Amino acid sequence: MSSSPTDVLVDVTMPQMGVSVAEGTVVGWRVEPGDRIEAEATICEISTDKIDTEVPSPASGVVTEILVPVGDTVEVGTVMARIAVSGNGVAPATSAAQPPQPLDGGTAGAPTTETKSSSSAPAGNGHRRYSPVVQRIAAEHGIDLSQVPGTGRGGRVRKQDVLAFVETEEPPLHIESPYRPEPVAPAPAPVVDGGGLSRMRRQIGEHMKRSLDTAATCTTWIEVDMSRVEAARKRLGVTALAFVARASIDAIREHPALNAWLEGDRYTRHTDVNLGIAVSLGDDGLIVPVIPRAHELSVEGLAARVKEIARRARGRELTPDDVQGGTFTITNPGQYGSIMATPIINQPQVAILDFEAVIKRPVVVSDADGNDSIAIRPMTILGLSWDHRALDGALSAQFLATIKRNLENVS
Amino acid sequence: MPTLTYLQAISSALRDELRADDRVLLMGEDIGVFGGAFKVTDGFVDEFGTDRVMDTPLAESGIIGTAIGAAVVGMRPVCEMQFSDFISCGFDQLVNVAGKMHYRQGLAVPITVRLPSGGGFSGGPFHSQNPEAWFMHSPGIKVVAPSTAEDAKGLLHAAIHDPNPVCYMEHKHLYRRVKGEVPSGVFETPFKARVAQPGSDLVVIAYGAMVPVALEAVSDGLDGASVEVLDLRSLVPLDEEAILDSVERCSKVVIVDEANATCAAGAQVAALIAEKGFESLDGPVVRVATPDVPIPFSPPLEAAVLPGVDRVREACRELLAY
Amino acid sequence: MATDMAQVADGGADAAVEHLTVEDRIWLLRAMLLMRGLEERAMSLYRQGRVPGSFYDGYGQEAVSAGAAFAMGPMDRLCILHRDLAAHLIRGVTPARILSQYMGRAAGITQGRDGNVHFGDRKLGCVGMVSMLPDMMLVATGMAMAFKLRGEQRCAMTWFGDGSTSRGDFHEAMNWAGVQKLPVIFVLENNQYAYSTPVDKQYAVDPVERAAAYGFVGVTVDGNDAEAMFEAARAARERALAGEGPTLIEAVTMRMHGHAAHDDMKYVPKEQVEEWRKRDPIERQEKRLRELGVATDELRASVKAEIDAAAEEALAGPMPDPATAVDGVFCVGEAEPLGDGQAPWSGFH
Repeated sequence: MSSSPTDVLVDVTMPQMGVSVAEGTVVGWRVEPGDRIEAEATICEISTDKIDTEVPSPASGVVTEILVPVGDTVEVGTVMARIAVSGNGVAPATSAAQPPQPLDGGTAGAPTTETKSSSSAPAGNGHRRYSPVVQRIAAEHGIDLSQVPGTGRGGRVRKQDVLAFVETEEPPLHIESPYRPEPVAPAPAPVVDGGGLSRMRRQIGEHMKRSLDTAATCTTWIEVDMSRVEAARKRLGVTALAFVARASIDAIREHPALNAWLEGDRYTRHTDVNLGIAVSLGDDGLIVPVIPRAHELSVEGLAARVKEIARRARGRELTPDDVQGGTFTITNPGQYGSIMATPIINQPQVAILDFEAVIKRPVVVSDADGNDSIAIRPMTILGLSWDHRALDGALSAQFLATIKRNLENVS
Repeated sequence: MPTLTYLQAISSALRDELRADDRVLLMGEDIGVFGGAFKVTDGFVDEFGTDRVMDTPLAESGIIGTAIGAAVVGMRPVCEMQFSDFISCGFDQLVNVAGKMHYRQGLAVPITVRLPSGGGFSGGPFHSQNPEAWFMHSPGIKVVAPSTAEDAKGLLHAAIHDPNPVCYMEHKHLYRRVKGEVPSGVFETPFKARVAQPGSDLVVIAYGAMVPVALEAVSDGLDGASVEVLDLRSLVPLDEEAILDSVERCSKVVIVDEANATCAAGAQVAALIAEKGFESLDGPVVRVATPDVPIPFSPPLEAAVLPGVDRVREACRELLAY
Repeated sequence: MATDMAQVADGGADAAVEHLTVEDRIWLLRAMLLMRGLEERAMSLYRQGRVPGSFYDGYGQEAVSAGAAFAMGPMDRLCILHRDLAAHLIRGVTPARILSQYMGRAAGITQGRDGNVHFGDRKLGCVGMVSMLPDMMLVATGMAMAFKLRGEQRCAMTWFGDGSTSRGDFHEAMNWAGVQKLPVIFVLENNQYAYSTPVDKQYAVDPVERAAAYGFVGVTVDGNDAEAMFEAARAARERALAGEGPTLIEAVTMRMHGHAAHDDMKYVPKEQVEEWRKRDPIERQEKRLRELGVATDELRASVKAEIDAAAEEALAGPMPDPATAVDGVFCVGEAEPLGDGQAPWSGFH
């Protein structure tokens, strides 16, 4: 393997996939010594206790040596291969510790044999930094900064750039939702092999199919008058989702059967509510980061955490630990105006709550004397998909009724 | 409204104060018969007499110390240091007697100390200093620094009316070069900052002679960028609200000090912004200041150290592009 | 070179009798007894750990402040130094407030902002000292300057020590007062030592001679004779009010204790201390009054009772509220000038 005397050698090391992981096994190499590889392209696949994943190349250059053969298990941090970066070439990204890769799909800790995508940083070398004001504006508008082109020094995103980006975005229909429409700029190209579906789409699809094959999935709906929620959320400056989350957690207290796992024959009820919130990543699909111990948070606390995990999800900053341990999931795709859905349960949980658009409708209201009239109220339909192996229709309806009661009595 | 030079505005304030308030007393070297080294008090003895426009012995500590004594028995002395540089001879009286008196004894010391400051005319190390930072750092002393003729008058009236010791930094370079409309009679300019020119892409924060430098620097050559210039006017108290408001809107800051860089007023402004304006920043807080050298005498050396229009413009250009 | 006692102006005490009633003379003794008693009590509290920081006293020098301050009128203004407690007492500061001040309590004159004798009650016309000496000479000169400019019949008095005459502000004040002929009285407390530095390391001439160099009168007085001190101050005040300018009064005395409570004054020869003990100012005044038939024991007892009550009151008072530590740096509103003080001398009534 030749490299010029001016070359810099960059190490490819075994990454740490989760806090408790100490080692990993190489399951496949995509390159041989002498091959050229671009930064960010997958160089090998590894398997750990927590997750199987692809490892992106830390630099663009020529592979000089492979040090860990397929099948070998080594400690986190071990050098597995080396890449020669030419002396007058671009400086390599730091290779000492790979940043942890985010997960796709809804697996909550269950070991799978699926491999996950690796794209985390935007195209280009190194790690983009964002100034305090840019981060603040992005968080306020739920913007994925990796989508924002920068016109500052070295391609830096300036305040003017993120403000301009905000302006060109379509305003969402249901502005409280953490979702945003597909970004105008093309997403970084995911790895595509064969057919028309991206790897991520296929992985999500496999998970969804497996859920439907495993659970006896049914869906029940209930209408909720959101007037008090709308008033309260304006006062507090938070999204309606935070209220739905809190109302659901309170309902789980009365109906603990909804906060459980069913894995084959093993049925576990959880006292902690680790709340998963589904976040759309556009072409990269869906991810469900978890708010651990969500029952300890107030409405404001939940709103802040939802905002934070949505931001991190879009910034591809989630770690494997962030997507594990969920006991109940809420999905909130309401900004396009859809009113009902039949969500698929996030295995191995036993239920998932769907919160769609809040739409003003004419409704019948009765006064204290029983006289009926028509009033205009912001209404929504909450849908609960539930597993008939662990629950039944009555329990599910009661659970929904409790959530409805909680929401319609918000002070 | 008359148009006055900065120097005429100062004279006007002193004259109006002497007329309006019996308690006001001017004290300084060569201010009486000679009319002052810069002619600020030219002709004053004819109207007010040698008692109220006092030619003192050559004794800076004496001037400040006796002014303190006169102030605590009901007078309103306005002392002049012939050059701000000589305040070091009266430092002890100003910092330890005047500055600390109210805190310790509840006894107010309403003195004003006029300090003709700054360089730009080959004055050399002992006639060109900007010593305001020493007094910003001493509790109990207020510090103001006008950049326009109107503020020169308004801030001096306010300083004389203030019941506390006030250092009034009058910039020698501006005496005859700055002109403007100045209201007649007694009026006060508040001890707050002033937006000299509004903007949105970057703010230059400056005071004294650096304000006209900043205005010229941003007037062209920045590709149409919208640059704000904030004139601090008051260093103690420092107008935190105005500074943070400019930073929030503009997100990029250049601070200009004619004083030596280390621990100058701009250093305090930078620390304030870093602590309280962090979330508004879109770039590092940049300072343009005179390096830590005595101000040299020969013109090319002096021009090399004092912040000029080109240096300020270049700093703005770089930060705008960041 | 210590001032030879033989050179001290004689006849000062006799001239005083002319201007002092028996009540006045009792007042002088009372002021000195109160000063000494308070300082002894404060020293005891200091040794009990109840007086923070350092502690200074004017043991053996009581006549210098008692005599001079007694000649000052209610509208006159004083810059009092750290061994001049009697001056504060004569102006009307109460013993309880003084002990509170030493102990850093809220009821102290500075409410805990400055310590020991660094205080001055502005409402009684006293300006509190700073530690840089003799800065207050210039402040007193400035006050006198204002009196003269406004044509007022009043004067200013300031005390300072032998050591401080070596600093520039001594010169600037003496010169300014001399050239402008101001109604200011400079009381130089020559107590032979500035901390451990004896006067022969401090100056080459007797400082009273310097007055002539600045164009005004200098007198040397027995600093341990309260009545001689009074007379010198009274004459100086008369001179000042008549427009004849300043006076330098060199009060010759001896610092009988260390520079502060933490100084054991080993550098002072024992014989010198013994010599001066025989000239104790309180004993001398007491002797005079006993010769006039005054029951000085009763006076002592009443002073002691006053001090006991003051100590009790001061010890019961609270420490200042830490939340107020950053208040009052600036005056907000109107600047109030110094107020008038007590003036017990019969000559003012």
